Amino acid sequence: MLKSLSAVALLALPIAAFAATDNYTVDPLHSSVNFTVDHLGLTNIYGRFTKFSAKYSMDKAAKSGAMEASVDTASVDTNENDKGSRARSRDEHLRSADFFNAAEFPKMTYKSTKVNFSGDNPSTVEGTLTLLGVTHPVTFKFDRFKCNPASGTSKERCGGVVSGVVKRSDFGMKRGVPNIGDDIAIVIAFEGDKD
Amino acid sequence: MLELYQNNPAVQAAVQGGLVPFVVAVIVAAVLNRSRFMWLAIVAGYAAQVALATGFSFSPLSASRKILLLALLAPLVGIAADMVAARARSTGHVTAALAGAAAVWVFITILGQKEGSQAWIAGAGIALFAFAMTALLVSLRDDALRTGAAALGLGLATGITALMSASVGFMTSGIAVAASAGALLLVWVVNSRPVAPGLLGTLTIGVMIALFSEGSLMLAKLPWYALVSLLLVPIAVRLPAPASASVFARTFVLCLYALVAALIPIAAVWFAPGG
Repeated sequence: MLKSLSAVALLALPIAAFAATDNYTVDPLHSSVNFTVDHLGLTNIYGRFTKFSAKYSMDKAAKSGAMEASVDTASVDTNENDKGSRARSRDEHLRSADFFNAAEFPKMTYKSTKVNFSGDNPSTVEGTLTLLGVTHPVTFKFDRFKCNPASGTSKERCGGVVSGVVKRSDFGMKRGVPNIGDDIAIVIAFEGDKD
Repeated sequence: MLELYQNNPAVQAAVQGGLVPFVVAVIVAAVLNRSRFMWLAIVAGYAAQVALATGFSFSPLSASRKILLLALLAPLVGIAADMVAARARSTGHVTAALAGAAAVWVFITILGQKEGSQAWIAGAGIALFAFAMTALLVSLRDDALRTGAAALGLGLATGITALMSASVGFMTSGIAVAASAGALLLVWVVNSRPVAPGLLGTLTIGVMIALFSEGSLMLAKLPWYALVSLLLVPIAVRLPAPASASVFARTFVLCLYALVAALIPIAAVWFAPGG
C-alpha cells in the first residue's frame, strides 16, 4: 500500500511542476527588439525590429523557464528608410544580401535552453540564436524583471529587459567589418500577459 | 594610406572591387600570356575581391554562396567543354541551358517562399535570363576583343545597378569582372595579340554576370526590366568594328559600344519608380 502511494506521489510530482509553470505571450505594444552597432569607431547606430513575436514561461518555484522569439528581419528600422537623393536607404541596404538577406532568411529566431535564477528572479537566459541559417549560442542577461499580480479583470503581467552581445560575423554577416562593428549589442524590452 | 583604406568604406570598395582585381588580373594575364588560360584572369580578379571583402565560406549554402561556388566552377566547366566539344554547334546551347538550370538552383529557397504562380514566373524568368546572357556571350567565343568589351560593359553595368539596388556585395563583384576584363584588354593593346576566350572565358563571364545581376534582383532591389536590358551589352558589341584597324582602335570602338549599351540598364534603375 505504502509502495503504491509512493508511486502515485512520484507520478504526481511532474504534473505539479507542470501546473506551476506560467506561460506568457509578449505584448508587442509594450515590447521592443533593439540593437546598437559601432560605426567607424566614431558613433553608434541604433536600430530596432518592428515586427516580432515571443512567448515565455516561468516557474518561479522550480526556478526554471523558457523563452522563444521570432523576428521578421525585413522589419529592420534604423530610422533611415528615406533614401533622399541617394540610390537606396540604409534600411534597404540592411535588408539586402549584404546584411540580413531578408528575401532568403525572413526570420531570425531565438530559443532558450536554460534560464538561470538569482534569488527569486531570472538572471540570465542561455539559448541559441538562428540568423542567416546559422545557429549559435547566445546568452542574455536580465537587467530587470518584475511581475504585477492579477487584479480585477487584468491578468498577471510580467516584464523585463534583457541584453546581450552577438558577433555578427559568427553568423556569416561579414560585410563592412570592422568599419561597421562586428559586435552587436542587443536590448530586448518586453511585457507579457499570463495566458 | 592604410588609414584611409581602413577608415573609408568607399575607398575600401574601390580597392577591393577595382584596384586589386585589376592588378591580380594583369599578373595572371601576363603569366599566362598567349594561352587561352589567360582568361582565368577574370575569375582570379573576382576571387581576389571575395578574399578581401568577405572571405570564402560555403556553409550554410545560401544563394550568395551558391553564386560564389558557381563562379569558381564555371571556368572548370568551360575548360572541359573547350576540350570535349568546343566546335560543336550545340555546345553553346547546352552550356547556356546549364547556366539557366544553375540559376534556378541558386535561388530555389527564395522561389520557394513566393506564392503560387509568382514562383513559376520568377523561376522561368531567371532561368531564361541566365540562358540568354550565357548564350549571347558563348556565341562570341572566337572573338577576344568583343568578349572583353562585353565583360567590361557588363561588369560596370552590373556593379553600378547593384549599388543602386542596395547591394554592395554584387556591386564589388560586378566591378571586379569589369576591372579584370579591363586588365585583359590592356594587355592585348600592349602586345597586340588577343587570345580567343573559348568557353573558358565566355561561360565564366556569362555565368558570373547572370548570377550577380539576378542576385541584385532577388536579394536586393534591381527592377526586372533593368536586368533584361543588360542583354543589350553583348548585343551591342556585335556592331561593326574596322577589321583592318589596330587592336587599340578596335578595342576602343567595341568598348564604346559596350559602355553606351551599359548606360541603358543604369538609366533604367535611375529612373525606376522609387529609384
